[in-house]
Amino acid sequence: MSVLPFPSFLDDVKEKGFKRAALEGVNEIVERATAGMNVQDIREALRGEAASRKPNPRLQPHADGFWLHMRPSYFHKSVTGLYPEFRLGWLSTYFVFFLTITGIFLMVWYTPSPDVAYANMINIMSNVPFGQFMRDLHRLGAEAMVIIVFLHMLRTFFTGSYKKPRQFTWFTGVILLICTMFLSFSGYLLPWDQLALWAVTIGASMVEATPPEVVGTNVNLLLRGGPDIGANGLLRFYLLHVLAVPAILFIFTGVHYYKVIIHGHSLPPGEENIGEDTAKRVPLDKRVYFIPDILTSEIMWISVTTLILVILVTWFFHAPLEAHADSQVTPLGTTAPWYFLWIQGALKLGDKVLWGIVFPTVVIIFLMVMPYLDVTKSRRFADRRAAFSVAFVLLSLLVYLSYMGLPEFGVSTSADSEILHHMLMEPAHNHMGVLRPIPFDQLVPGVYTTRQFHTDDYDGDIGTALASFQDGIPPEQNDAILFFLQNTNHLPINALNFTAVPADAPELLEGLRRLDEELEANHAELPNAWGAIIITEPQNNLKRVDVLLVWDDVQIENGEPVLDENGEPVFILDENGQRQIRYNGQYMFINRNSQYFAAPGA
Amino acid sequence: MKLNRLLIERIDHRILVGTLAFLATMVLVGWIWINENARMAAFEAQFNARSIERGAALFATNCSSCHGVDGLGNVGRAPALNSPYMFGHDYLAEVNSQIATVQAELDAAMAATPQDQTAIDGFNAQMAELEASRASLIAQMGPAVNLGYDPESPVRLARLGWTSTLRSFVYTTLVHGRPVSSNYWPQAMAAWAQTANGPLRADQLEDLTNFILNWDKGDDWTIDDLLAVRQFPIYPVDPATVVVGPTEPPVGATTEIAAIMEGLSGVTGDPQAGQTAYNSAQLGCTGCHINAAVAPPTEGTWTRVQNERLTLPEFAGYTGEMYLAESIIHPNDFIVPPYPSGVMPSNFGDRLSYQQLADLIAYMQTQDQ
Repeated sequence: MSVLPFPSFLDDVKEKGFKRAALEGVNEIVERATAGMNVQDIREALRGEAASRKPNPRLQPHADGFWLHMRPSYFHKSVTGLYPEFRLGWLSTYFVFFLTITGIFLMVWYTPSPDVAYANMINIMSNVPFGQFMRDLHRLGAEAMVIIVFLHMLRTFFTGSYKKPRQFTWFTGVILLICTMFLSFSGYLLPWDQLALWAVTIGASMVEATPPEVVGTNVNLLLRGGPDIGANGLLRFYLLHVLAVPAILFIFTGVHYYKVIIHGHSLPPGEENIGEDTAKRVPLDKRVYFIPDILTSEIMWISVTTLILVILVTWFFHAPLEAHADSQVTPLGTTAPWYFLWIQGALKLGDKVLWGIVFPTVVIIFLMVMPYLDVTKSRRFADRRAAFSVAFVLLSLLVYLSYMGLPEFGVSTSADSEILHHMLMEPAHNHMGVLRPIPFDQLVPGVYTTRQFHTDDYDGDIGTALASFQDGIPPEQNDAILFFLQNTNHLPINALNFTAVPADAPELLEGLRRLDEELEANHAELPNAWGAIIITEPQNNLKRVDVLLVWDDVQIENGEPVLDENGEPVFILDENGQRQIRYNGQYMFINRNSQYFAAPGA
Repeated sequence: MKLNRLLIERIDHRILVGTLAFLATMVLVGWIWINENARMAAFEAQFNARSIERGAALFATNCSSCHGVDGLGNVGRAPALNSPYMFGHDYLAEVNSQIATVQAELDAAMAATPQDQTAIDGFNAQMAELEASRASLIAQMGPAVNLGYDPESPVRLARLGWTSTLRSFVYTTLVHGRPVSSNYWPQAMAAWAQTANGPLRADQLEDLTNFILNWDKGDDWTIDDLLAVRQFPIYPVDPATVVVGPTEPPVGATTEIAAIMEGLSGVTGDPQAGQTAYNSAQLGCTGCHINAAVAPPTEGTWTRVQNERLTLPEFAGYTGEMYLAESIIHPNDFIVPPYPSGVMPSNFGDRLSYQQLADLIAYMQTQDQ
């Protein structure tokens, strides 16, 4: 007899035998853990059979369990297909958990301090098993979540599901969208690389423009923890990223879900009479129970989504990590994250306050109050032509503004800087300089010039063309170029002895040809231009590649060359009436083991 | 819809697809696991390689004006880093060990009883041969010896008494500079770390260190490499040996500004010569005045002097020339904020003639962008 006030497991074994007692024990534990379903119930559910006992044990977890009390116990059959929901809401929720888990993994290896944050990244990449995997998943998941949440909003708009009685559900959804975007954005800063620093500097500088000035200045100080982003700013963004914004997100996810239970999933617009909402009155023959049908469906969707993400990070996507953040070096072509490009594009329209602050605020407020403004009853597509038209116009505007946000649009950099950048840039935004991925052994030391492609006057003979070009450079210009290379660029060469690119360096030849093409394309701004690629080997396994541009100076106004009445550029002449020669040059170092590879599609 | 029928309406299909996706995910994770060590090693190699690249760029802009673009040093200015001495290569190591071996055998033959005279003679002959080749090696190194290299003491760190690694020597030198080196070089090496009020971050110093250490050729250093060195380190025994002075009488480091202006009135500055001197290794102005983070940049000097400095109350009655002359000869009388005082050498007065000073001022006047 047990000393306990109830029969012990041993008593059970004595009474029923071990096997039966153990199975019953397991059954009881399972029933408690699932808040109502025992092993037999689960087996029946997964086999797709009807429940064999009453009351239906499959409703019990919804009534007694924590997790499923947030989910309706049955759906209308019409909302369980791919259309109308596309599982986007569920996937958004899944990403919240997915990013929390991968984020916690990364948090373990991260310190929010400018002194060590970047080194932490290097450690995660080089020393933590699965470090790169987790970082890639977190980054890709974050970008995917922005897309999924946005699509979820679009779907809700097009099926009219924001209409009465679901206005407030939409409102909380807009808050979740803002949280998602801010989470994605605040995560940008944490690696403390150039991409991080400058993307966030652009974003935070818009806050500074908030009128009146006293508000803008102080909000900026609060966010950045100083006039510029530094240790305080990093810590603040970190805390917002891992604590404050997720807290808001979790709370509003709860509200959002609760509203779904209250109002049910709205049916496809065509299945209800106009102005009716029958989501909560599901006829018995239309009911699809959460257990097992919706549950297995949702698990299938997240399994497949996870597999897709894992496949992408295994072969196709790696989170970028650029050079260490440096507030002294502004990279050419800095952009905000892609989902904020529309704001960056709008900023190019003019006033910083109007387009950087007022415009996005108006957009957000419009989104929030939209269901309260649009009080038309019908959710049918045919009755909503005006709303759809407005939506498509706004979507086109969004796409166009985002395009305007790209660095290619409306930002004029001088052609020579642009070409040098294009030739030599460090990997950024999935691009890198044309000359960077050239195999190390093809970077044969020597001095090469684009004039090697201009051999028409010499019957195609490169040797003669180069020799005559070399002889044609006036000695004082030659000296000036050498002075420029030695003093500005610190390059130890004493003469420009042009040679043809060796036959066993086809990729170098291709790079030189690209340089020639770019000079040709900019002949109005860079008339009579020639370029040189100078390769030296300052150390074992380390080569230096200089790109030099030489052209006749012309008048430039607002980034465009001034043309005379014949459409010819206006040259700048020196006191002797000779054309002024301009030079520009940049260089990079390439180590044998650096492994720069051309980005896919670049 | 087909997809609806196939996937969404059949529970067994859903379970199958979900399970297969999960298994495939696990297989991929396993595959990543298998490759993880190789991936981490590859990343590390790639990161180090790119660190050397960044270090090379930092060296070119910050260090090459004193240590030479090729790292071989500048005569009278700064020692070579691309040098077998820096990395402690001992050219005599092999012959020394051979001599030690033969010596041991000779000693054994001498101690044996009875002595084998033929063997002793053989060892003596070998000894003479080895000594001759040792002497020949030292003779080949003659030019380097004349520049201060000592083949018998080939390890820089040992001679310095540095007990830690070469990496830590390079890194800590970058952090703190060489505060007293102005006693035996024309200017002190400045502290480069931000922690020591310099311009560079810790990771940039790591990059620079990686680049400098990449000069090591290990066992492949040749005597030609040694002879290429332009300047060996100076051990501060006798400062008099390294003074590089002008041939004309100098201005004098303690000359008052009024007297300097009087002296300047007799000469006309040549901006071309001034520019050459300014960029020269002897004066080393560009070593600092090229980087606004270290010193006021050369570009725009004259504009700033006219528009900003001369409007200050303490320069009432100064001309731009006077301000520049004082700034060159008595650099610590006025320090442009926020730069630290005591960094610019105050011995230019002893190193410049009036003509050179006038040239420099004339060159500065062209900096009116």
